[in-house]
Amino acid sequence: MRQSTMPALPADSWQGAYAFLRRFQKLFVICAIFLIWELVVRYGKVNPMLFPAFSDVVASLLHGLGIGGKPELWQYMWETLSVILQSFALSVVLAVILTSLALASSLAKDFLSVITGMFQPLPSIALLPMAILWFGFSRESLVFVVVMSMVWPIASALTVGFATISPTLVRLGRNYELNAIGTLTQIMLPAALPMLIAGLRVGWGFGWRTVVAAELVFGATGSSGGIGWYINNSRLFMNVADGFAGILLVIIIGLIMESIFLFIQQRTTYRWGTEAA
Amino acid sequence: MVNTHDAFMNVRPMPLQPRTAKDPAARPVPASPAASAQAGNVVEIEDVCIDYSVGPGRRQKIRAVENVSISVRRGEKLVILGPSGCGKSTLLMALGGFLPISSGSIKVNGASVSKPSMERIMVFQDFQQLLPWFSVLENVKWGVRKRWPKLDPQEADRIARRQVELVGLSRQADQYPNTLSGGQKQRCAIARSFAAAPEILLMDEPFGALDAINRERMQQELNNIWSQQEVPTTIAFVTHDVNEAVFLGHRVMVMTSGPGRVRAVVDNPAVDRSSEDPDAANLAMHLRELLKEEA
Repeated sequence: MRQSTMPALPADSWQGAYAFLRRFQKLFVICAIFLIWELVVRYGKVNPMLFPAFSDVVASLLHGLGIGGKPELWQYMWETLSVILQSFALSVVLAVILTSLALASSLAKDFLSVITGMFQPLPSIALLPMAILWFGFSRESLVFVVVMSMVWPIASALTVGFATISPTLVRLGRNYELNAIGTLTQIMLPAALPMLIAGLRVGWGFGWRTVVAAELVFGATGSSGGIGWYINNSRLFMNVADGFAGILLVIIIGLIMESIFLFIQQRTTYRWGTEAA
Repeated sequence: MVNTHDAFMNVRPMPLQPRTAKDPAARPVPASPAASAQAGNVVEIEDVCIDYSVGPGRRQKIRAVENVSISVRRGEKLVILGPSGCGKSTLLMALGGFLPISSGSIKVNGASVSKPSMERIMVFQDFQQLLPWFSVLENVKWGVRKRWPKLDPQEADRIARRQVELVGLSRQADQYPNTLSGGQKQRCAIARSFAAAPEILLMDEPFGALDAINRERMQQELNNIWSQQEVPTTIAFVTHDVNEAVFLGHRVMVMTSGPGRVRAVVDNPAVDRSSEDPDAANLAMHLRELLKEEA
């Protein structure tokens, strides 16, 4: 039998290499997807006018962001982000008010239950024609549609979060003579944070999809448009790589938001043990 | 109701001695229950009945507590002892203001109890009574800040740290509750309660979910913490454990079940003594007999 000339790696080295691979596993998967994409377009019979190579998309994205081109993507990105952030803040406030009222009154509880049941399954983009009639081709129309997509999942999650709070914690608040606002801010909301974060995450996902879809249908709001408008324009001008760059940007922003939610969880609910990491 | 003040042979008020005190001289000697009694009663419970509404439309009434009368003396530890389901926790919840009474009256310092108050802080059996988003020290400090909102933050910190130290959690002061054992969580809850210096501390089987060793340790520590307070805190303690009742209570109120009534109120000469102490053993036997008669 031929003896191997390779020096045997110590067990620690193998474990270290395995840990390294595990740590960057997701990154490897993403790189593999992009590599396959590049190779299929470069060496397969794919029309690059219809489906550009990954490297062309990245180049378009970098140009759009101002690296070797006109930094027009920032403006589109800000338009979309400002709409969704405004809608997100409005949705959170509305959801907290609605669920707090539902805690205080059985009528409000039934109202919230019925209205959530009605609107949660409805794709809020279906409300866009009505929103245009009510608010015109304005930013308010977009905000209305996005809020309608975000508020129900957040309210729904918060309702479950409030319902599953330990009665002992609620009694503790009563024992220390907290008023309604004190109970809500010092006991209920922190205790419902795991469900609230889950609701915010789902709400953000719905809102993000809705705002891009609405921009695709709606076009520009006021003087400028968002990422959806940018993607649609690329189709009109046959700049498919720009369109893909817009889609890539949508994905990147989605991943960044996911990381922000994860960061908040790590700093709060995971640390407190109120949610399993 | 049988009053066994005289029936029980060894009834005599005993001054309290902290058993595990490292430096007893540094600790103020608390007033004995008898001396405290002279200062008057904190709680007057008279002819209290408590009903629960159950069934369809909550029309059916079930009586949980019937015609209970008892006074709690200032600075004493009164133990409410009885079998499961005898209404002892219900009575304590009513005393806390968490449950309405159907008839009779509950008065603390002459004022009727109508809602929960920081004058009557409750320690629950449930480990989830700590705020999970605060560390041990922050939990205790939260209670202090609620009690005295205008208190200087440094003073609040000092009070909280003292109580955390008294319950032996100084090393865990910055840990979150999810990293604590059941016993440590209950110690933290007790520290928070003592830190708020309530008129009366209501303890609903706080050691009920602990293992036997931790339970004994916690009983010992409760007596020590109680004896080290500058002003002895009045405590109403609910349990179904006879030995726990004898070790902790200056007086033991035995309740019967279905519905809950007072079977007897017994003075305890053996408080804070080992279960092997003859007085403690005699009283434990006596209490068991009372509970057996009920069964």
